[in-house]
Amino acid sequence: MRFVFTRLGKRELVTSLMVVIFIAFFILPFVVVTLKSFSVGWRFPELLPQAYSLNGWQSIFRDPSLRESIVTTLMVGLYVVLLNLLLSLPAAKILSICSFKGKSIIEIALLSPILIPGMLLAMGLQFTMIRFGLADQILGVVLVHLIPTLPYAIRIMRAGYERLGTSLGEQASVLGAGPYLRFFTISLPLLLPSIRSLMLLTFVISLGQYALTAIIGGGNVMTLSLLYYPYFSSSNEAVIAGFSILFALLPLLFIGGVEIVLRLVIRAVNRV
Amino acid sequence: MNGQSGFLNNKKRVITHLLPALAVTMLLVGYGLWSAIAQSFQTIEGEWTFASYVQLFNSHTFFHSLKLTFRVAILSTLLALMIGLIMTRMLYQFFKNSSSKILVWIPILIPHFVAGYLVYLFFSQSGLFSSLFYQLGLLDQRSDFPILVQEEFGIGMILTYVWKEVPFVILMLLPVYYEIDHRYGEVVRTLGGNKWDAFKTVEFPWLLPVIVETSVILVAFIASAFEIPYLLGVTRPEMLPVRAYEWFYDGDWSKRPLAFSAMILPGVLALLLAMLCIGAVQQHRLRMVKGRGR
Repeated sequence: MRFVFTRLGKRELVTSLMVVIFIAFFILPFVVVTLKSFSVGWRFPELLPQAYSLNGWQSIFRDPSLRESIVTTLMVGLYVVLLNLLLSLPAAKILSICSFKGKSIIEIALLSPILIPGMLLAMGLQFTMIRFGLADQILGVVLVHLIPTLPYAIRIMRAGYERLGTSLGEQASVLGAGPYLRFFTISLPLLLPSIRSLMLLTFVISLGQYALTAIIGGGNVMTLSLLYYPYFSSSNEAVIAGFSILFALLPLLFIGGVEIVLRLVIRAVNRV
Repeated sequence: MNGQSGFLNNKKRVITHLLPALAVTMLLVGYGLWSAIAQSFQTIEGEWTFASYVQLFNSHTFFHSLKLTFRVAILSTLLALMIGLIMTRMLYQFFKNSSSKILVWIPILIPHFVAGYLVYLFFSQSGLFSSLFYQLGLLDQRSDFPILVQEEFGIGMILTYVWKEVPFVILMLLPVYYEIDHRYGEVVRTLGGNKWDAFKTVEFPWLLPVIVETSVILVAFIASAFEIPYLLGVTRPEMLPVRAYEWFYDGDWSKRPLAFSAMILPGVLALLLAMLCIGAVQQHRLRMVKGRGR
């Protein structure tokens, strides 16, 4: 009995040590950057800031190009997320429940953007996009952002549908529910965790695109990532730190807004 | 009646449901790839030629860049996989409830270039670690701190990628760990095997396909990513995506074929690597599926 006890204790100790290591490596840096965004002239060799102020954040929010680009970024992100949902939901459903000839080839085709360099595709598409008037526009940027996001969206939704199974849908169908009612009352609520991760991941990937946005957007579609590089070489370190924090805040803001909309939709549907 | 028609028209349903996603993907990937390959073989006047490839194969700088690109990609992938595997193994019980899983999502939330900034903040010569060692009396001045960011080997880039991809690896491996029947581990232990035996015979066969998939994704991604090298790389030798980007925007369009071929070659190399790995695992995968059926 005592043997079991000490073993368990040791194991838990190791686990908690690992948790501490994980937090120290992956979470603590964010705290440091937040601290930095409120600091004044925190330079080598000081271990902690000597003074605090809101100057960094003030100069971020006073920059009109930055405010504009937050709107652009959110718009691009929203369209990318919506398109991903529209395209991946039906495809993932079929891939998870049907088997048919040539399925593996279609699967490989849908996942191919993961393995083929996105920048190469964007460079290849640029000339055509210019000819069709899609370049230098939000629509073109949204389309090209589908390259790094869609495969992940399909992958996530497919796993979601596989967990969901078909029995509940069949049951509802037997009871006379049509496809729309089935979707809104069964699939949507039960797939919510997958839909949430899809939206978060695709938004974050879209947020982090520099090369694709620059090549197709041509400097006209100024998303935040395009502004980050000039900021990085600017001298005010509190501003860069604040800007970096902004990148972590935007997905949270977005997902918070989406969450409210989702809740409203489900409530409205259930009332009918 | 409504539902019935949905289940009957199977073939039509497959096509209508799959077509949008497939069409968009094929248009972007198929057309983009074809156009990129075509433009790599053409001069700006539209003549077909191998000139850009010949020029690349004759240049030492290209091979230096290629070596650097794949060194960074492969080293980061291996390190991220190892650290991610160890962390998943030790923490999968802890991550079981979804509230602690948020911890893994936090590093995924930020773009790669912000992770690059974090590495710069902590590891540059005037960074926080340098300050720490100075305060501890281990350094006399900041130039005593080793150059880790923006140097030739790509340490800063590797650090960034490892930091950013470890959570990704954990998220890929966690579902597998919940799927494994851990009673098999106990069987190994009662039969006299040690921890390593348990890992090798119970966990590893389950993990292998996912590990290969993850590493293929990571190598292909890192070898063709632009954001981090643009922030943390040096000009000599340059990472290939940055070189290609600069050729692409080089004044007149005469260097564009070079830009395309400089991206195609590492892409092809990564693809070959991927096929090799997947082919090697396929055999194993079939055996697993058969074994499960019995």
